[in-house]
Amino acid sequence: MTKSTRPTIRIHNIEIDEIIDREMNDVEFAQYQADQTERATAQAEAEAKATAKATILDRIGLTADELKTILG
Amino acid sequence: MATTTNYGWTTPDDTALVKDGASAIRTLGTSVDTTTKNLNPETTLGDIAYRSSTSNVNTRLGIGTTGQVLTVASGVPAWSTISAGGMTLLSTTTLSGASTTISSISGSYKNLYGVAYGYTNATSNNHFIVRPNNVQSGRFNTFSAVGGNATLVDQQTDICLSFQVSGYTILRTDANNAIFFEIKNYASTVAYKPVISGGYYVGAGTDLVGFGGSGGWSNTSAITSLTFYNTGGNFSTGTVLLYGVS
Repeated sequence: MTKSTRPTIRIHNIEIDEIIDREMNDVEFAQYQADQTERATAQAEAEAKATAKATILDRIGLTADELKTILG
Repeated sequence: MATTTNYGWTTPDDTALVKDGASAIRTLGTSVDTTTKNLNPETTLGDIAYRSSTSNVNTRLGIGTTGQVLTVASGVPAWSTISAGGMTLLSTTTLSGASTTISSISGSYKNLYGVAYGYTNATSNNHFIVRPNNVQSGRFNTFSAVGGNATLVDQQTDICLSFQVSGYTILRTDANNAIFFEIKNYASTVAYKPVISGGYYVGAGTDLVGFGGSGGWSNTSAITSLTFYNTGGNFSTGTVLLYGVS
């Protein structure tokens, strides 16, 4: 028997109060992978933005709070 | 024959004969009795009376049943049973796996209200989202406040209930977190669904990182299922209470 590498999901049918735990099907797994890619991209962009911001602040010798005070 | 001013009861004239006094008193008494009864038609404990369309004749309204309120129907008072309102617990679901779906949600309510708490995962920190009908659609803005001004920290097409804010690491195994969300008009088949949410997670250094969110699910389909994801990894624990709001 081949061991699955796909994540499992839970479905709770509240009309009949039935809980099913099963592996993702093809469609769900494709969506899952797309979500993971999207999140990773978004996270990388956010981190790059934060790094760029910190670099600029460091170059001009201000902290984030000091910049907020100036802009506020 | 003389009569009284208000109810027109017949009384003896000043010139009436004394011998007719008994008859006159009996006539007056009968009139008083009839009028009094017409004005007080109640027969049972709790009955009330209201004016009818006939002058000096009231109508009896029998006592209602427990919980009923007095209202007006067709221009007259009537007892009415208050429509059932409030919240009905539809399900208590334990979060598990890469996602957990609550399916076969009844469309009999006005709004859906959910509370999620104690959700943890052992893999990595990321977004805790809910996706109606497992369809990613809409626009949702999430704000965060950590001991200061609220800041827009995320804007995306998923209803994001919580995620790690830069500088405030989620203690992802700490179950002392909680969020709520409400989806309005969820059963509509013609309108988009507005959504609000709020709550917090426990961050490193015991910071409580607060969240608030608003936006909507831009889809006209009735919502019959909700799928919860923690995009950082599988749920280890967690509970979702889902209520129907009448």
